[in-house]
Amino acid sequence: MTEEPMIILDKVSKSYGPTVVLRDCTISIKRGEVVVICGPSGSGKSTLIKCINGLEPYQSGSIRVEGVEVGARTTNLPALRTRIGMVFQHFELYPHMSALDNIILAQVHALKRERDEAETRARKLLDRVGLSQRADARPANLSGGQQQRVAIARALALDPKAMLFDEPTSALDPEMISEVLDVMVELAGEGMTMLVVTHEMGFARSVADRIVFMDRGEIVEETPTDQFFSAPKSQRAQEFLSKVLAH
Amino acid sequence: MPEVILKNLPFLLMGLRLTAEIAFVSIIGGTVLGVLVGVVRYFRVPVLAQVADIYIIFVRGTPLLVVLFICYFGFPTLLGYQARAYYAAVLGFILFIAAYLAEDIRAGLRTVRPGLVQAALATGLARAQVIRLVVLPIALRNVIPTFFNQYVRLFKFTSVASVIGVNELTGSAMLVNGREFAPIPIIGFIALTYLVCCFVISMVGRLLYSRLAVRA
Repeated sequence: MTEEPMIILDKVSKSYGPTVVLRDCTISIKRGEVVVICGPSGSGKSTLIKCINGLEPYQSGSIRVEGVEVGARTTNLPALRTRIGMVFQHFELYPHMSALDNIILAQVHALKRERDEAETRARKLLDRVGLSQRADARPANLSGGQQQRVAIARALALDPKAMLFDEPTSALDPEMISEVLDVMVELAGEGMTMLVVTHEMGFARSVADRIVFMDRGEIVEETPTDQFFSAPKSQRAQEFLSKVLAH
Repeated sequence: MPEVILKNLPFLLMGLRLTAEIAFVSIIGGTVLGVLVGVVRYFRVPVLAQVADIYIIFVRGTPLLVVLFICYFGFPTLLGYQARAYYAAVLGFILFIAAYLAEDIRAGLRTVRPGLVQAALATGLARAQVIRLVVLPIALRNVIPTFFNQYVRLFKFTSVASVIGVNELTGSAMLVNGREFAPIPIIGFIALTYLVCCFVISMVGRLLYSRLAVRA
């Protein structure tokens, strides 16, 4: 018997008035898989992954995470969200708190962990992302790469079953991209289920099991990584790749 | 210091103490009420938001003295209780200042980026927790300058309480002047006292802001 995929999207559609943002998006992600979503900007990639943890509502179709229907009115979204970590393009750390407190907050208030335990975990995670020296620093005093690593630690502190990354390196200076990607590669190596929206094709090539290519709100193709880079199925993916891999 | 001031200093200082007390209680009460009203309006809480809108329109369109009269004469007559000038004044100041602070906090709430709220929600915090733990702390830090501006205004406004018979600094100065008739030194003294107090309040605000301000 095959295991049911951890995240299943079935014909998910969303529109703002007459503008269609997502059209019949169907994908499923198994436990431990790393899936990269790429495509031109405005293609609905970010919106799609924000639907998975209920940050964006969708109008039709179904999303199930570990069997729980995200769009159902009875679903406890906060509880669901503690099981799915998310990392954002602009880090979104709490500016009035130290790096350490950023990682502690949801542990204490969402998971109801004891503060001592939360702090111990936070320090371990900071150490893991190489920032144990910066525990007391405010986000404003950290570089972009450091902020994003704290944001990853903040998400990991809840022991999520899966991680969503929304263009985690797009707002970073080039020299800081690798420090963030290193953490993500390590995470993938440990078997974390990951859904990553990114333009980092090098990262996609080395860690992704599959590539999902989106354009204009649609999933144009979903292809095993090697095949995607050597022989993408669709014309649109070929054009996209020729642009992003041109240099 | 002129002799007339020295002679009446204990009495005037009692007035100053009362002024400080009224200002302090009104600032605390007004801030709590103002933040509540601001949050209710910002998140458009049904019914409460509409009540808050009417309250703000009313207070902002009414002179302070009239608000005090309402608290001193209006409410007691309508609701049938015995008014005391001190409590009526404090109530009036709280209602008055909160209406302005509620508008200011709304501007502060707008400085919190939606992305930050999304990120906090994504960690499994409930909406009310996000407001309490993330949005309000940031908004409050960012409105420290405007809030302290209002506190300075309020401190000066407390002098209006003398009209309904509260012997705070201005009220006691007027009593002294009635007895001594030496308006120049007496009014000079209280003017200087208000000036120093207001200066201290704005310095406290600046200090707090320089320590607590965040880039949101």
